[in-house]
Amino acid sequence: MSVFNREAAVRLILLRLARLGAELGKPALAQADEQTRLFGEASHLDSIGLVTLMSDLEEDIHRACGVRIVIADERAMSRLTSPFRRVGLLADHLVELVAAAQA
Amino acid sequence: MSDWFVQRLEERAAGFALRGPWGDCTYAELGRLTAAARADIRALALDGPSVFALVGEHEPAAVAWLFALAAEGHAVAPLAGNLAEHPGKLAEVGAQWIVTVAGFGWKLLPRMSEPSVHPAFLRLRERGHAGLVLFSSGTSGRPKAMVQDLTVLLDTFAGRRPNRLPVLALLGFDHIGGLNTLFATLAAGSTLVVPADRSPPVVAAAMARHRVAVLPASPTFLNLLLASGEAGTRDLGALRVITYGTEPMPEGLLGRLRRAFPAVRFIQTFGTSETGIARTESPDASSTFIRFADPLLEWKVVDAELWLRSRTQIDGYLNPQEGADRFTADGWFRTGDKVELGPDGTLRILGRLGEAINVGGEKLMPAEVEAVILGVPAVVDCRVRGEAHALIGQAVVADVVAAPAADQEALRASIRAACRRALAAHKVPTRVLFVDAVGGPRLKKTR
Repeated sequence: MSVFNREAAVRLILLRLARLGAELGKPALAQADEQTRLFGEASHLDSIGLVTLMSDLEEDIHRACGVRIVIADERAMSRLTSPFRRVGLLADHLVELVAAAQA
Repeated sequence: MSDWFVQRLEERAAGFALRGPWGDCTYAELGRLTAAARADIRALALDGPSVFALVGEHEPAAVAWLFALAAEGHAVAPLAGNLAEHPGKLAEVGAQWIVTVAGFGWKLLPRMSEPSVHPAFLRLRERGHAGLVLFSSGTSGRPKAMVQDLTVLLDTFAGRRPNRLPVLALLGFDHIGGLNTLFATLAAGSTLVVPADRSPPVVAAAMARHRVAVLPASPTFLNLLLASGEAGTRDLGALRVITYGTEPMPEGLLGRLRRAFPAVRFIQTFGTSETGIARTESPDASSTFIRFADPLLEWKVVDAELWLRSRTQIDGYLNPQEGADRFTADGWFRTGDKVELGPDGTLRILGRLGEAINVGGEKLMPAEVEAVILGVPAVVDCRVRGEAHALIGQAVVADVVAAPAADQEALRASIRAACRRALAAHKVPTRVLFVDAVGGPRLKKTR
């Protein structure tokens, strides 16, 4: 089983954001960093874009780590601070989900 | 022209009818625009009913043209959203005139290729009534046009109690829910607040700025509003009522919403393009059950499916083969919604029967997406389906069989790009999976 740490999660999200940015004609997404807003004010993704990013990440993680995760679940939705707000928060969320799935 | 509309234009002359990115429009200004639109229609010297496509959102000129066409007894097909879907819809209704709207202004263009008028519109004309055409997703992938009596629909808004509670326009100008919000707001002499787009930050900013009191929304929009954090950062203190409909409300989400908006009353609504928006009530605020309280509507449940019959239901489909089996001979409409009966004449919407996919309250049929994907080179076969998604209700998934040598990463991007060009945003697959084979035949690739 490969190690999926926070650094790997951030790298994976930034790679996916850059590719999605190219698809959507939003090159600014290639310059994203941990503080980049994923959703809400000053974000480059709409809800369908955000769901597309999640689906791509779920597939990537399945290929890389051999586990199936669901990024948007009721637990994530009911958190006070949404894990979908910034790249860094989503990375934390992914690490948690993968660890739970591998346990 | 509808008596109630004329009355409100006079009584509320100085009040705001519409406020949006193009500015503020008073009832007096809306009256002037409507008169000007009627003059433009009369100047065409048409000798019979004609079909007008009205391209725009809830803008002052679009609203004026809608009422002007109703008053002059013509048929109107409002078109909003993705331009790529407009040519198919224009052809389906046989529009003879196109009105494109921008804020307070408009352009009127003839569409020369359409000399004849569909019999459905002539039947309305015999009654001296105007027509309204709305679209839903057809099972074949072709847009399905529904014709209804606009004069009767407008009459149902007469006698509404006046109020001054500003209402937000979230559903589109081409959606029965969006039109219902428009008519109900104007019939009450209130103000419709139109956001520049439907993203949570923009909507929340418009709500704070114009002190919006009533928010009609889908559960998905409300979910996104919470997830974006906007509900906590904007002053939404004027908000009194949230009405929700178009898709099932998860109980967990309703609980979170009630905690986020403790002073707001939540009311579930229910409607279909075919039967109109029904008046409903909830047993209590925490319940996802509803009860129909609409004198114009009858309902029953047959094999777990909700059937409706209403005074404002459509006259029929323009293409009678499409969806004719949705209506029984005695006028019942099979909604395709799976429901569960509760105590005291209540019921709860569980989801869709059959193939329709509901993305955040906007529905689509798999076939229309499959038709686009099958046109992409290196796609051998595909099947489109919905999967449950905690953020948007249901997400669109495409299972694709690719040609053996295809680069899957590149193919995934071209499939999505083709869908984005041809379809409305909510129809684009968010997940593209590559599989060895898909189940039984629905569409065959013909090249």
